[in-house]
Amino acid sequence: MAEDMTIVSYLAAGGVLTNPTNVPPRYRAELMKLMATFVDSELAGAAGFADVINAGPGIKERIAAAKIVLEKTDNADRVLRVMAEFGVDADRYASHHPWTARLERDADIGMSRSDHDMRLSVFNYPLDGWVDSVVMNVLMSRAVVIQLTEFSLISYQPLAEAFRTILPVETRHAELAVEGALKLAQKGAASDMQKSVDYWWPRVAASFGSGASNKAGALKDMGLRRSTNAELKTRWEVEAATVLESLGLKRP
Amino acid sequence: MARFHDLTVTDVHKTIRDAVVVTLQPVNGAAEEFDFTQGQYLTFRRDFDGEELRRSYSICAGKDEGILQVGIKRVDGGAFSTWANEELKVGDTIQAMPPMGGFFTALDADSSKHYLGFAGGSGVTPVLSILKTTLAREPKARFTLVYANRGVNTIMFREELEDLKNLYMGRLNVIHILESDAQDIDLFTGLVTQEKCAELFKRWIDIKTVDTAFICGPEPMMLGIAAALRDHGLDDAQIKFELFASAQPGRAKRKTASGDAASSANQTKAAITLDGSTQTITLPKDMSILDGALENAMDAPYACKAGVCSTCRCKVLEGEVEMVANHALEDYEVEKGYVLSCQAFPLTDSVTVDFDQ
Repeated sequence: MAEDMTIVSYLAAGGVLTNPTNVPPRYRAELMKLMATFVDSELAGAAGFADVINAGPGIKERIAAAKIVLEKTDNADRVLRVMAEFGVDADRYASHHPWTARLERDADIGMSRSDHDMRLSVFNYPLDGWVDSVVMNVLMSRAVVIQLTEFSLISYQPLAEAFRTILPVETRHAELAVEGALKLAQKGAASDMQKSVDYWWPRVAASFGSGASNKAGALKDMGLRRSTNAELKTRWEVEAATVLESLGLKRP
Repeated sequence: MARFHDLTVTDVHKTIRDAVVVTLQPVNGAAEEFDFTQGQYLTFRRDFDGEELRRSYSICAGKDEGILQVGIKRVDGGAFSTWANEELKVGDTIQAMPPMGGFFTALDADSSKHYLGFAGGSGVTPVLSILKTTLAREPKARFTLVYANRGVNTIMFREELEDLKNLYMGRLNVIHILESDAQDIDLFTGLVTQEKCAELFKRWIDIKTVDTAFICGPEPMMLGIAAALRDHGLDDAQIKFELFASAQPGRAKRKTASGDAASSANQTKAAITLDGSTQTITLPKDMSILDGALENAMDAPYACKAGVCSTCRCKVLEGEVEMVANHALEDYEVEKGYVLSCQAFPLTDSVTVDFDQ
């Protein structure tokens, strides 16, 4: 049997890795980065949203918000468990960092991340009350669904499986966000909502990373990416604009 | 973090000339931690000439057999597998981490699923665990195993599979594909390729009834089978892989001792290899290797910068560094020269590190 295939050519041919023992070093680094980005974003997102639960106008809204906080934390835990198989101290990881920390609302950091965690840049901005949080969730949850759909097919099987479990949960969060937004729109909050759309749209768009990533080819060969940043971002722009339209809002 | 436990060897027997089946008994009250799920593997460690080697082997026992058993095939030049095949004996103590891995699907006693397993050589070990457990716990399930080997005398667990076929009459079907030994049916000779699978799906396996497929074998075989399964309508969530690269490194080299331990200035010259290219930078000794690389526009990997996540791991090839915190790397990794670059500060006037190893 031809057993002389290298891991690199196996991956380039669409092969799948299944445990830490046969993961090459550069693959390991990119995979860890991807997982850290997801975990940090979920933990920071949940921590930020937790503060908003009490701002919910009714009990249904508070339940939805609390559910989202709980489930995002749970999703972080799922991926953290995959990281733990690579030697990460999961308990310390979750508690070593102030996940609620935010920058100023008008800070302009583009796509850059803070020095000490890997959360997507968008999670460094503070939420400003209930309406703002709902709008942020409408836009960001769409982005998360698009990213997760992409990453559900990556070449590290345990992570692909974790993402496939997480995807329907995050999809439900996107639906909850739209339901909440619809209520607000019906109550005549449209102009406040549009202000938040104008604020969050470019920041969520930036979370897709730069269009000209010089690593895209290498990531594709490793089976860690299929689409480019630009393709994912375009997909999001189309889908998010459609959602906004259904709410009587428009993209900036 | 997972920890190693002592296990006593209670039985060792050959299944073919160069593969042993080892039965293990956890000691010191660790039995609960070794309660495995079908298809999982154990990671063993052992010292060879002062250097620790770790190797993973799949459990071949079913859940209901009440034993912990792994199959170890001897690999040419493989220190651990050769030792297990030639020296390991009843009464020995061996160290392993609790079972790990996700090569399984949830069982449901009421379901009547059709499972399809593909195994190449010693890749049969986890598949055997899965099929034994599934047939015992899902009384209405069927299992088809396509089992590839070089020849008749290299088929691990051949007799056990025959016994299982008799025990689960009509529910277990085993198709042996032999690379070099001729068989009555031409189709059953050769390699298990994408084309061969397509042929099998025409007449021998009703692929439309298959709910889940398990594949464990060498890389090219897994690729071919997966492609054939996708061609025939299975999606990625229905295909479970287990890969233990045939090229698990035999033995890692030790870190080279540094030539110049003494320091004069407060500066270090660091040669940093990343993505195949090496850049030499100068950094102060109070700057971490990672920050030095980042300041010089190198795209070094990192995440937490707190010594927790190990994303920034690199290997020191020359010179000395000091790690101020380490919550991620284990002793054996540190011994091999791995450091967390976010926590590693140079001690010598020159260091050479590699992110690609």
